[in-house]
Amino acid sequence: MSTAMNFGSKAFKPRAPDKGSFPLDHFGECKAFKETFMKCLRENSFDNSRCRLQSKNYLECRMDNQLMAKEPLEKLGFRDLMDPPPSPEARGSKP
Amino acid sequence: MLLLLPLMLRPSLCCPLTSPLLSRFIRTLPSSSIQGLRFQAELFLQRRPPSHLQTRSRSRKSGGLDEEWRRRNKTVLMYIAAAGVGMICLSYAAVPLYRLYCQATGLGGTAVAEHNTDLVETMKPVKERIIKVAFNADTHASIQWNFKPQQTEILVVPGETALAFYKAKNSTDKPIIGISTYNVVPFEAGQYFNKIQCFCFEEQRLNPHEEVDMPVFFYIDPEFDEDPRMARVDTITLSYTFFEAKDGQKLPLPGYSYN
Repeated sequence: MSTAMNFGSKAFKPRAPDKGSFPLDHFGECKAFKETFMKCLRENSFDNSRCRLQSKNYLECRMDNQLMAKEPLEKLGFRDLMDPPPSPEARGSKP
Repeated sequence: MLLLLPLMLRPSLCCPLTSPLLSRFIRTLPSSSIQGLRFQAELFLQRRPPSHLQTRSRSRKSGGLDEEWRRRNKTVLMYIAAAGVGMICLSYAAVPLYRLYCQATGLGGTAVAEHNTDLVETMKPVKERIIKVAFNADTHASIQWNFKPQQTEILVVPGETALAFYKAKNSTDKPIIGISTYNVVPFEAGQYFNKIQCFCFEEQRLNPHEEVDMPVFFYIDPEFDEDPRMARVDTITLSYTFFEAKDGQKLPLPGYSYN
């Protein structure tokens, strides 16, 4: 919380997320992927760099189940995890 | 005479101009004419420079002086009133003016978000700089959700996208709608903390006895590594707070866009 005494530095301004809000996964469709990801994190002492494959799988699950707008994974920063695919297939609809 | 002395001294102390007059008065003491004393006393009390007055009756000169002073007072009052009204108008005008200024210079944080969408694609992770992101979850007293992070901390590097989860459970028998906001500590690191997608600022509805996972997909701007102020920052804390939302209420998105 930005207190009134913080005159020297810039006050914190919350910003809206770039792609908006995730719809809630009411039916737990991607719960399995989430569990895999959390297990990977726990095994790797919570190092995100080693669990990027699992996070990519989770987001792909979301996209498949209409819980996230479909986007090419490069736009989500997973360029390094992609095999070089033929580009017209990988391109989904823009949000 | 003794009674008049304190009256004499007080104005003379306040007004140093009258001290020569006081000395003159003291010189005239031996000649003690009561009328003269009373005259001098009235001079002090009224604080008029005695050289202007020969008699106590109003002369045209003193009347003219009064008028001039009154006119001067009026102009001064007009100036002060105008300044006051001007200040009030300025304070009202400052709001749209400041908004324009912020949009022009991007100081309000509005311009920072523009280039982010292309940055995610092209940014390179800075593998040497490991940052610990700690997660915190809070709920407002009135909302009956159990809201907590699923991991206490995560190690990320700037330029790499990361995923984190929170969990919320509605253990009551009626659906509750929550809406959340977030905070990043330290404040200066907040400008480098970019969320691609999360669950904040929009109403989230939880049915009775429902539990959901809430992901946050974020990254830290690679320029974080180059900022000298961030050189000693190793831990960033992301804190979410959930509030209960009334039906149909919509939080305005932060920023200056009122479209």
